[in-house]
Amino acid sequence: MNKVLQDLMQVKPNKAAGARIPLIDGVEKVSGQAKYTADLDADDALVGAILRSPYAHAEIVNIDISEAKALAGVKAVITGEDCGAPFGILPISENEYPLARGKLRYRGDAVAAVAAIDERTAQQALDLIKIEVKELPAYFTMEDAMASDALLIHEKRKGNLERAVDEEFGNAEQGFAEADLVLEQTYHCGEVTHAHMEPHASLAEYDAERDLLTLKSVTQVPYYVHLMVTQCTGMDSSRIRVIKPFVGGGFGARTETLNFEIVACLLAKAAGGKVRMKLTREETFLTHKGRPETDVCIKIGIKKNGKITACEAKVLQRGGAYAGYGVITILYSGALLHAIYDIPNVKYTGRRVYTNNPGCGAMRGHGTTNIRFAFEALLDSLAEEIGLDPIEVRRANLLAPNFETINGLRAKSYGLPECIDWVEEASNWKEKRRQLPRGKGVGVACSHFVSGAGRPVHWTGEPHATIILKLDFDGGITILTGASDIGQGSSTIIMQSVAEILGVDYGRLRVIANDSAITPKDNGSYSSRVTVMVGNAAVDAGKNLKKILVDAAASKFECAAEDVECMGEVYRVKGSPETAVPFQDIVDQAMIGSGTITAKGTYFVPREFQGMGKQRGAAVGSSPGYSYGATVAEVTVDEDTGLVTVDKIWCAHDCGFAINPLSVEGQVQGGVWMGLGQAISEETGFQNGMHMNANFLDYRFPTIMESPDIEVKIIEPIDANGPFGAKEASEGMLSSVLAAVSSAVRDAIGIEMTETPITPDRVIDALVKQERANKRNQSGKGAV
Amino acid sequence: MRQSSKSVHEVTVNGRRRESVVPPNMLLIDYLREELRLTGTKTGCDGGECGACTVLVDGKPMLSCITLVSKVNGKEVETVESLSENGRLSSLQRMFHEKLGTQCGFCTPGVIMASEALLRKNANPSDEEIRKALEGNLCRCTGYVKILESVKAVAEAGAAR
Amino acid sequence: MELLPEFEIRQPKTAEEAVALGAEADARYIGGGTDFVPNLRRGLETPSTVVDLSEVSEMQQIEETENGLKIGASVSLQQLISNELVIKQYALLAQAAETIAGTTHRQSATVGGNLCLDTRCQFYNQSEWWRKSNNYCLKYRGDICHVAPQGDICRAAYSGDLAPAMMVYGAKVELVSAAGKRVIDLKDMYQEDGANYLLLNPGELLVAVIIERLDGYNTEYRKVRVRGGVDFPLVGVAVAAKSNAGKLEDIRIALTGTNSRPVFVEGAEESFGKPVDEETIKALVKLVRVQSKPMRSTFTPGSYRSKVVVNVARRLINQLL
Repeated sequence: MNKVLQDLMQVKPNKAAGARIPLIDGVEKVSGQAKYTADLDADDALVGAILRSPYAHAEIVNIDISEAKALAGVKAVITGEDCGAPFGILPISENEYPLARGKLRYRGDAVAAVAAIDERTAQQALDLIKIEVKELPAYFTMEDAMASDALLIHEKRKGNLERAVDEEFGNAEQGFAEADLVLEQTYHCGEVTHAHMEPHASLAEYDAERDLLTLKSVTQVPYYVHLMVTQCTGMDSSRIRVIKPFVGGGFGARTETLNFEIVACLLAKAAGGKVRMKLTREETFLTHKGRPETDVCIKIGIKKNGKITACEAKVLQRGGAYAGYGVITILYSGALLHAIYDIPNVKYTGRRVYTNNPGCGAMRGHGTTNIRFAFEALLDSLAEEIGLDPIEVRRANLLAPNFETINGLRAKSYGLPECIDWVEEASNWKEKRRQLPRGKGVGVACSHFVSGAGRPVHWTGEPHATIILKLDFDGGITILTGASDIGQGSSTIIMQSVAEILGVDYGRLRVIANDSAITPKDNGSYSSRVTVMVGNAAVDAGKNLKKILVDAAASKFECAAEDVECMGEVYRVKGSPETAVPFQDIVDQAMIGSGTITAKGTYFVPREFQGMGKQRGAAVGSSPGYSYGATVAEVTVDEDTGLVTVDKIWCAHDCGFAINPLSVEGQVQGGVWMGLGQAISEETGFQNGMHMNANFLDYRFPTIMESPDIEVKIIEPIDANGPFGAKEASEGMLSSVLAAVSSAVRDAIGIEMTETPITPDRVIDALVKQERANKRNQSGKGAV
Repeated sequence: MRQSSKSVHEVTVNGRRRESVVPPNMLLIDYLREELRLTGTKTGCDGGECGACTVLVDGKPMLSCITLVSKVNGKEVETVESLSENGRLSSLQRMFHEKLGTQCGFCTPGVIMASEALLRKNANPSDEEIRKALEGNLCRCTGYVKILESVKAVAEAGAAR
Repeated sequence: MELLPEFEIRQPKTAEEAVALGAEADARYIGGGTDFVPNLRRGLETPSTVVDLSEVSEMQQIEETENGLKIGASVSLQQLISNELVIKQYALLAQAAETIAGTTHRQSATVGGNLCLDTRCQFYNQSEWWRKSNNYCLKYRGDICHVAPQGDICRAAYSGDLAPAMMVYGAKVELVSAAGKRVIDLKDMYQEDGANYLLLNPGELLVAVIIERLDGYNTEYRKVRVRGGVDFPLVGVAVAAKSNAGKLEDIRIALTGTNSRPVFVEGAEESFGKPVDEETIKALVKLVRVQSKPMRSTFTPGSYRSKVVVNVARRLINQLL
């Protein structure tokens, strides 16, 4: 037997699913070769710049652009007059224009834009634009905006209410009546923002001769951008091409189409050329779309054994000036009260309010983070008062796999019990809780998230995801996907999924993503959908390609397809290893008569996981699967300065199955840490509508100095809906961190912090109150 | 408006000596990115707040977004593009790749250059020394855990230059 | 968009040449530029000439004097931290320097730059668009201080960490101008006006700072900030204390982040010779309380800084005595 055949006989399929491999685009990132939007060649591009409103709320009387237009070197000046089509992520609430029309609604709102030969000329042109307005009363708090005499920020939105949600599943009142203990508390979460490291940028090129527009931008969802650019330019969508270069993080900010992306296109069209737009960090902060300031009033009733009988939550969100994702955020807050614990009665009241602040949107942990903080924090209080360990209270309320909640959410897997067991053990919880010296404490909390929305925002009847594979004469397999790798590693997961099915070496595969002229449509990277939805489509595509190859092998071997054995890089007849032939031979065979081979794979969320049940509103929050996380935080509180230092975090995350454990760990650590930032130091602030901390000195996300070690345990209960059993791994754990930290602070100093972030000033205020209360109590006792 | 006079600057960038005529108000980052098209060095903030623009000047880490080109006249500048040799990653780059010290990759060039500066001085740094060296390098993806592991892995492998 | 203004740049070789250039109208000195360049980028500085001091070798030395050190203003913070003498005999100074900004900043940032650090305010350290939209302020083109609208003085906070540390070592500064050289107490270089916090003559250059060794003192610098790195101080407290047989011999307390100038706490000498007890400490803490005046110049509330400067001072005094 010759050596070649001997080698072929040894070949085994590539076991790609579950492999701990580095990201496929990591080499570019560590070598400086990765091209982000601002890195693209723009030598001949015009400089695009936006004039921003100094007013919080004003009627536009006139915008005089004549002088700006007349300035030498200025190629285009546009205002709201140049685009009458509104845009927005939700078809039901498109109320933003690329450049403001009629009214200015926040300090930073886009008023006009210029394209000029260089930055200096662009700046001079902006300075020459004269805005004439009638100023209106502005509202920066929910209370002010909802006042009966408040002007409406948007027409027909009575009380400046963007959305009101009132729903009840079961009977909360009856549930509370059955409880042994009912507590109610109001929590406040400051507004936070994504602060992705890459500032916003776009490069738009208009080919006036052919009427073609190419946009390269920082988006998480090129498809939505394509839709909105079509809508706002009035062009035929076939004339538009949207490309996503490397993206330096998104965290939800870039799921919506953002005004500057459309403005770049409008400018390119107006100037008949190429326009580069680079927003400053300050402008990136102002573009926002972050997690809204939220008040949560929550009431929970429990039995003596810790079992929850009912929950009622009232949520108020300060949505800012435009709708964005707002309706979804306020709906998700209610929907995600469910599907983590077994709660028989739930009442939810949500109010999303317009104010004259930068518009909010989706941010990692969308909709659930703030209400989860409130819920988990109150569980802590209930546990304390009824005399149970916080972990036991959670254990008393667990669901079981294959559950269906009272609002119609279903899932096949449920790994929360194992998550809780692990953090309890790993953190040495039993020896620490209530036993550490004053100033030190541990706290626990849980959270969950969807693995993609059961029904997408734009419901068209199409599959939730599509993957195309192309296999050609060279034996290389190109994976075409519209899913956006924004650093979370989705391209790697897609490649591993295809590699697992075909068993081929990674070197044979390449991923081409995010070019609307080449890759299939995809709903993009949001709601943690890519692993499950695009992963499943990749599995399907891999299977379809494999079938073609197996059939080709069958005809080559002159055997039945069932008798072909695929060893990845080698095909052979089952039971006859000596028949092994290399992959290329099978490709050659398969191409006979057909030429280049393509295979498509799609994924539909099964109907029963689309929330199509009888319950009203059950489509909201439905998903093929939910991820679960449990977190224990250990903290030190300095009572002189109020500074909370998080010493260590243990997080167990149920992601069904880890297609890439390295990547899952990275996502879990990043998610935990982002929750930590919101827990202790991150918050945007406004004074009279001016953004007070639109920079990285005052928007204080943690540095490496105070960031703790985060120990991760991956829990893998295998979900039948996921590719190889996988669920999402980047959002589910985040929301637990806020309450875990606040619980630890309470353990350390005996004070419940009901506001986030738990900044030193809030801790000092709380300590002062505690001290006063202690003194009062002592003097009270003295009097008896 | 004032017009300032340009002058010739001699700067060695990634081993290549260059004579460039630049205006006095040009920042090093603009020189690297716009003039030399070395776009590995990133702008993440509006000046001196995030560390994404870190390069080495005569072996020391510097923030190119708040450094005037005149400050590096006659000096040697190294950017992230200089670390690979013959198309192969340096051990530091390799560890960031293999240990997932990079996610979105935007802070990575700055983090790597700050780490490079550390390892040249101290081939076996402690966790605290690594943290200290990177205190001005913000990252929004990793929670820093795997950044720390990546730098440590280089030290442990004894592969630091 | 952030464009740097047009300016000429000069790189003198000696302090004499530097002050000749610095005498020109709208000339500004630049050390490491870690504070100055961000301010240039935000349009807060519009110099005609930037005098870069990095080539002035006479300003880059750390020399031992008979009873202390003379530190050139162009010595980088990194050099300062790495200096053996500083590490051994001026621990508080090294400690303070090490808290400044980030490691990379400290390679460039200089001693003189940090001592002359521009005062900071949430209404001032913003973009041109921002400040214009907010009608500017008393420190820059406006006629109102948004921190204290009733007053007629700028309340931006001095935020350098080195000044309080240096003050504890009895720092004097050597100032040079075309008119000649003078040496003054460091604390006399500042005044309580955020817009004009430095009492320097036009074109006057800080060349060196001279400090005295402290023998038999316990010292500590404590910087309060939200994050473990990068941040400017919300408050910073430097304390050097010496006691003998239960009696207070000397205590020096200096603050930053609380006022528009670094504050050397006055009046401690009244406690010298008194027993180190609760009453003495109370009196010292009271001095800190009375002399610190944090206002809402930072994103973190001023009321917090008022409370915490006292807490930290109390803790340090207790710890060091």
